[in-house]
Amino acid sequence: MSGIDQPAAGPAADAAAASAADAGRGARAKRPIDILRERQGERTPEQKEYFKRQTQVRKALLEALKEAPRTIPELAARCGLPSEEVVWNVMAMRRYGTVVEEELRGDYYCYRLKEV
Amino acid sequence: MTELKKNYDSLVIGGGIAGMQAALDLAEQGYDILLVEKDPSIGGVMVGLNKVFPTLDCSSCICTPRMAESAHNPHIRIQTYTEVKAVEPLNVGFRVRLQKKPRYVIESKCIGCSQCERVCPVDVPHEFDYGLGARRAIYIAHGNAIPQVAVLDPTYCTFCGRCEKVCPTHCIDYTQQPEDVEVEVATIIVTTGLQITPMDRKAEYGGGKLINVMNPMAMERIQSSNGPYGRPLRPSDGKVPRRIAYVQCAGSRDRSIGVPYCSRVCCMYALKQALLLRHYIHDVDVTIYHMDIRAFGKGYEQFYRRVMREGVRVVKGKVARITEVENRDLLLRVELLDEEGRVAEERYDLVVLSQGLIPAWQGDGVLAAELDEDGFFRSISPKISPVLSSCRGVFIAGVAAGPKDIPDAIVEAGAAAMEAAIYLEATRYHERFIEPSAVH
Repeated sequence: MSGIDQPAAGPAADAAAASAADAGRGARAKRPIDILRERQGERTPEQKEYFKRQTQVRKALLEALKEAPRTIPELAARCGLPSEEVVWNVMAMRRYGTVVEEELRGDYYCYRLKEV
Repeated sequence: MTELKKNYDSLVIGGGIAGMQAALDLAEQGYDILLVEKDPSIGGVMVGLNKVFPTLDCSSCICTPRMAESAHNPHIRIQTYTEVKAVEPLNVGFRVRLQKKPRYVIESKCIGCSQCERVCPVDVPHEFDYGLGARRAIYIAHGNAIPQVAVLDPTYCTFCGRCEKVCPTHCIDYTQQPEDVEVEVATIIVTTGLQITPMDRKAEYGGGKLINVMNPMAMERIQSSNGPYGRPLRPSDGKVPRRIAYVQCAGSRDRSIGVPYCSRVCCMYALKQALLLRHYIHDVDVTIYHMDIRAFGKGYEQFYRRVMREGVRVVKGKVARITEVENRDLLLRVELLDEEGRVAEERYDLVVLSQGLIPAWQGDGVLAAELDEDGFFRSISPKISPVLSSCRGVFIAGVAAGPKDIPDAIVEAGAAAMEAAIYLEATRYHERFIEPSAVH
């Protein structure tokens, strides 16, 4: 299973929504965020790809972790993702409270979704 | 945040441990100090370290009180996220142009609540964790940051506006731009610290491209309980590493990359990290490959003996090549110097390159102080007063003046403060510009 689908929410969706809102706003007064967007210029293809990829990876990891707590190699296999990308994303989710570390299985710690 | 004054007795460039020490030593004598830091927080390299050698004291437990003391001292004005753009010598002192980078956050209104960080949808490799951990596009530099003020990285902003909506003090200001400000100062103390030697030119060690070949600062972060993983794991797959090697002089004493000098701290930080790995991971095998161990400071030789007693293998050998093999493990080809140069191959889960120190700032054409052949600022009196630069009124301390450890950097910063105070008294600058409202 690839586990990677189009984003429903996340940074890529936010970027798209912000862009659409901008187009619909027409001649209305500029908001401060529009001033920042204008000064920064259009997001590059690399930036857009970064947002999109992060959204896809997170969705796949969340789905896999909803099924059961897993180690990094298990998550990588389940989602069809490179294990180093899984490490970085799981640790980001751990830092911001989505994921917690559980017991050690062999040489790998297990991670599960934090109960809300 | 109040406006900057027009005059300060001293400008300290760099808010690491040496800069804070120099600022505090001058402030305690009543001089007014402007402490400028390019990053969003003061604390420098030291606040990111796990523990210090040879005492194994918690590094941030030593550093953060210094940070707080600097922030609360009425004679020290801290200006973070700011760079020195021009220095013009005057008859006495200097006219300095500073550029404050936009945080997109009004510093005086931000209460450091992190609500903006929590709602931001983008995770970004965190510089403080050498890319191993994540921060958000809007973030507070780290848990011990001073000031506890958020900063927005527009490169990764999706312009969703959530941070602005959630901020309870309405401190998000997307319209901020770089802001130039001029001040006059009597003296300058340069404490701009270090970078580690880049590995891209060391193809034999993977050229910085092998994920499980790590730099020592990243190892400091993963050993820290507040680090990116919360414990030492390897970046490729989150495995608990069971076999770890340190390669000494990987970026020092090496003419091929233009770093012929000894960086002085690598032996000791490698010994410290190796010992701590033995404490953190049950039954871990840690080997340090070295040309010679330089344990020069007070208590350092005893520490070296202790590390060996506690099971770290210290092997005299030159690592010729590091190759990635199956499972992203690493194969080290080593010439064993104590075995008549026998060549051995050893497999490891993780390798740390003991990279050396290079200067973080070399004046950038802004400051006229001369550099030595090694790229650090030159002292005109290396024996009698190593803190005197080639520019009158400019003093150098810490790693800006040459590789050194934390205690030596602190002592040198104190010496630079003393020389600056002597200079200030000689020029009577303090009396010319002292204002009744000198306390801000």
